[in-house]
Amino acid sequence: MRILIVEDDVVLARGLARILEAEGYAVDAVTSGEQALLAVTQERFDLVILDVGLPGMDGFEALRRLRAAAERMPVLLLTARDAVDDRVRGLDLGGDDYVAKPFAMSELAARVRALIRRSQSQVGPKVVHGPLVLDTVARRAYLAGAPLELAAREWAVLEVLLARADRIVSKEAIIQAVANWGEELSPNAIEVYVSRLRAKLEPAGVRIRTVRGFGYMLEEYRER
Amino acid sequence: MTSGRSVRVQLLRLLLPPITALMAAGAMIAYYPSIEPARAAYDQALIDVGVALGERIRFDNAAYELDLPGAAERVLRTDRYDQIYFRVLAPDGKAIAGDPGLAPPPARAVPKEGVAAYDDLYQGNEVRVVAVLVPCEGKVCTVQVAETTVKRKRLVRDIVLSSLVPTLLIAIATLIIVWFGVKRGLAPLDRLSEQIKERSPRDLRPIEVGLVPAEAKPMVGALNDLLGQVADANSNQQRFLANAAHQLRTPLAGLQAHTELALALPVPDACRAELEQVHLATVRTARLANQLLALARAEPGGTQEAGLEVLDLRRIVEGVADEWVHRALARDIDLGFDLAEARVRGNEFLLREALANLVHNALEYTPAGGHVTVRTGIRPRADGAQAVLEVDDDGPGIPPDQRAQVLQRFYRVPGTAGVGSGLGLAIVAEIAGSHGASLEIGEAAGGRGCRVTLIFPVASA
Repeated sequence: MRILIVEDDVVLARGLARILEAEGYAVDAVTSGEQALLAVTQERFDLVILDVGLPGMDGFEALRRLRAAAERMPVLLLTARDAVDDRVRGLDLGGDDYVAKPFAMSELAARVRALIRRSQSQVGPKVVHGPLVLDTVARRAYLAGAPLELAAREWAVLEVLLARADRIVSKEAIIQAVANWGEELSPNAIEVYVSRLRAKLEPAGVRIRTVRGFGYMLEEYRER
Repeated sequence: MTSGRSVRVQLLRLLLPPITALMAAGAMIAYYPSIEPARAAYDQALIDVGVALGERIRFDNAAYELDLPGAAERVLRTDRYDQIYFRVLAPDGKAIAGDPGLAPPPARAVPKEGVAAYDDLYQGNEVRVVAVLVPCEGKVCTVQVAETTVKRKRLVRDIVLSSLVPTLLIAIATLIIVWFGVKRGLAPLDRLSEQIKERSPRDLRPIEVGLVPAEAKPMVGALNDLLGQVADANSNQQRFLANAAHQLRTPLAGLQAHTELALALPVPDACRAELEQVHLATVRTARLANQLLALARAEPGGTQEAGLEVLDLRRIVEGVADEWVHRALARDIDLGFDLAEARVRGNEFLLREALANLVHNALEYTPAGGHVTVRTGIRPRADGAQAVLEVDDDGPGIPPDQRAQVLQRFYRVPGTAGVGSGLGLAIVAEIAGSHGASLEIGEAAGGRGCRVTLIFPVASA
């Protein structure tokens, strides 16, 4: 996995590179939008980390051109929480996610993992979450290498949670994704599916957290 | 330029002397042309009496006498208003008939065409006297006829009044017109000041010139120029702050990255403890920078009025819930939500900031195993439905006597654990104020912990 860092602050860029290298990624760092554009034409990157407050060609302009050059490459924006915040938050410029400066390294690493996983799962048929593997083509699930029996509704709920792993997914969002057209599905029904999923997944350390009054979150899987 | 005096009073003061002078002049102009002929007419009547009396002088036995029957004298002396006196003098100056007390004509009364008219006193009263020289037997007799001045004074009074009354009425009318005219003329200014009074202190848009009277336009124009300059200064400050925040955060991010990297290395314990302090300080500094920016934004003029839009508090909470869940998990706190639609007019950045500060505080002061609940919705209140945004925790709470003080900047409840800056609730209060919302601090359910409630006016659409 290769990551491009576009950040004009050399100290921060070096810190980021070291952290990501420690996570096992290959990292290149440039300090301007122009250099970033040149880099993506020469090399294939799995992720770009882009500071929106670049001097010269600003981050938004760089993002627009990066998108034109490499459409499917995920971009994680780094922002200071200021006036550009709202534009970033909308992600209407094509950023896939953003992290506000300053940030905890663990948070950045988690976002990077999530983005790469998401982009990989879009191209490949397999979604991997720790010991859990969903083969979306064959519609088969495996947990720690063993086949996992999932009812259709359980499969659907798990797929929604996996797509937004480490993020809260509201009950309404799950209902919308799971319910057939014209079908009324109660939040209680979702609770039933989630508790069945928990019973099957938790022995392997895959946790679904309840966020009271809101929804559920598939916790990031950590080796223990 | 005199300051502070009412336009009305000034106008009246300006108008009063010329009006008074005009009235006096008008009275005089009416008086003199009309008083002289009238006086001449009264004098002529007296002269006629004198001439008539002169014709009654007889010369008999070398002595002059007046042949005036009693009935004739009564007729002569009869007047509606005045007393009439007369005296007839023989050529030698001896009084031969009439009222003997009447003084002889003084030297100043020089006869013209046989008649002299003059003012005199008789029995202590003012009298008008005419002395008529009458030929008698080749010599000259003098007939004096005097009359008290009641008629004449009445005439003068009538003339003066008849000219003064209309001028006086005109003057009074002028003053009344000025008094109410000024009030009416200034009414648009009153409306203007009402309009300015009703403005929110964060509203720096120019005042509408359309309704302003022409005379006040330069003033409103100057005011608008000033408002424009203030707005410019504010947005400059805004840009500067945004810039400063960005400039500050990037090195802070670098600092944080390298401290965390260092902490991941196998360093000696003493060194690790120091690094942890550096890391903590970095995180606090970063948070302080964010809070100062939020505070500056929430202050009047910090955001453009255009930044106010109809927002659903529920959506705002849902949009940022992710950011807190991890923190809550890390602290083993059960973060929950109780969300219903609640539309308010507001600025999204500021509302998010208020919410972030409330949740941050709740997570900071709630012990592990505790509960934090974020609530939005519409609540019926005595003065109609209100939109609420509420955060409950079951931490130590804020004692009632501290609840006003915690809203002050940099104030921290004495003996509080944690590493807060004392800015969080001050920011929330400032943001509440800028949204016309009120802030209440109380206990959460069961009288435990802390509940902070923001109560907003409901946005209609």
